[in-house]
Amino acid sequence: MISVKDLYFSYTKKPFIEQVNFEVESGEIFGFLGPSGAGKSTLQKILTGLITTYSGSVKVNGTEVKQRKNSFYEQIGVDFEFPSLYEKLTGRANLRFFNSLYQKQGDVETLLASVGLLADADKKVADYSKGMKSRLNFIKAILHDPDILFLDEPTSGLDPSNARLMKDMILKEKAKGKTIILTTHNMFDATELCDRVAFIVDGKIKALDAPHNLIMSKGATKITYTYAQNGKEKIEHISLRKTSEDELLSRLLKDNQLLSIHSSEPTLNDIFVELTGRHLQ
Amino acid sequence: MRRSLRQSFGIFISQITKDSMLLVVCIAPILAACFFRFGIPIIEQQLTVYLHEPTILTPYYLLFDLFLSMLTPYMFCFASAMVMLTEYDENMTSYLAVTPIGKKGYMVSRLVFPAAISFLGSVLLLLYFSLTEWSMTMIVLMCLLTSLASIAVALLVFSVSHNRVEGVAMSKLSGLMMLGLPVPFFVLSSAQYLFAFLPSFWIAKLSLEQDLLYFIPALLTSLIWIWLLYRKFERKL
Repeated sequence: MISVKDLYFSYTKKPFIEQVNFEVESGEIFGFLGPSGAGKSTLQKILTGLITTYSGSVKVNGTEVKQRKNSFYEQIGVDFEFPSLYEKLTGRANLRFFNSLYQKQGDVETLLASVGLLADADKKVADYSKGMKSRLNFIKAILHDPDILFLDEPTSGLDPSNARLMKDMILKEKAKGKTIILTTHNMFDATELCDRVAFIVDGKIKALDAPHNLIMSKGATKITYTYAQNGKEKIEHISLRKTSEDELLSRLLKDNQLLSIHSSEPTLNDIFVELTGRHLQ
Repeated sequence: MRRSLRQSFGIFISQITKDSMLLVVCIAPILAACFFRFGIPIIEQQLTVYLHEPTILTPYYLLFDLFLSMLTPYMFCFASAMVMLTEYDENMTSYLAVTPIGKKGYMVSRLVFPAAISFLGSVLLLLYFSLTEWSMTMIVLMCLLTSLASIAVALLVFSVSHNRVEGVAMSKLSGLMMLGLPVPFFVLSSAQYLFAFLPSFWIAKLSLEQDLLYFIPALLTSLIWIWLLYRKFERKL
């Protein structure tokens, strides 16, 4: 569905995106994970044809993006990080306008109802809350039933319930067989939503795999326990796999001297830090 | 493409009709034309009687006509720049570029269509409200040039400003682009060519000297301004 080979791009003389190679299969949710300024949004701008001054090959749905025609945009839907809506128009008028741009048109009323905006459809967008704008922005991107969706920080700035709603909508699109490219610096979203993620730092892909594989390949569940010694609380960390080898732990368990014990699994963020030496947020 | 262009232009017009300031801006050339056509001769009459001079404003009637020919495209392109800045604030500019409208379609619906309409408006105003006699050829050439110069103004205002407030300030400054109009009337020495970089200077020369050769520098200066500013405009999209 998407094939990127030897991609190189620069805003200045200094390279910004370098030697990027990856492929995305149909029906997959593919995430770009990285800190701000890593090149995620630039990569998405290249994939959507907003930037065409790249070198290398970028094929989206069989089209070399540099040579795209306007019909290319019938096949893709884009949801930018910040809502792009006409504030003076109503939600319904916005959707009707965007719908009119495409050959394949969606059912505005059904889409509004699907995200709980039917009752507010005649309100001006300027009067919408951030969550409402995000939902409207999302359905605007899927109005023409595109094969590929590009989502830039879809849950950014949303409260937990609206973020949940957004993630459910994304998963619903995946269930329909859509290919989704997700740009985020939220490791939890990436872990939950993505089939595969690419860690991007300084315009380069540092790692690319399924979130679970990345977590399991580099880290194992750890155990942390505390106990008292000479009136002071001591803390120890060991790998779950080495609990039987830890004589101190065995003794403390036998003598009922443990003060606390808990396990913790590494997160995608831990793996990201370990692989790239950088923090996500 | 055609349908999306039509829809894009439709939303552009709809935004102007929802903004009273822009609506007044678009009607302003008609008000100015009425003032020039009917008010200026009355003022001239009063001034000549009061100052006991045979003519005062009459030698500059052509200059009034030139301002009139530039006013319609200038105002339309100002409205266009304001709409584009609003769309830029609302992140619409980038978004429309990833719809079937595309970057080029956006530029056509926001710059070329308004310039084409203003060309027609300008022709009509010169036909019915000019103070001097104009041949149809000269009207068409003049309005074509003023429309092109105004596209450059819209590109300048949009490319340099970050929001509508800055856009309004920049529009006032861009009025300097019209500074070339009075130059051939008042600066008779070769010092007038210091303003040769302004399309308006050559537009005034063309109308004043009625020499069609001046059409070439007028066209070229407009196109160079458009070319230079379009690169900046495209980077902003």
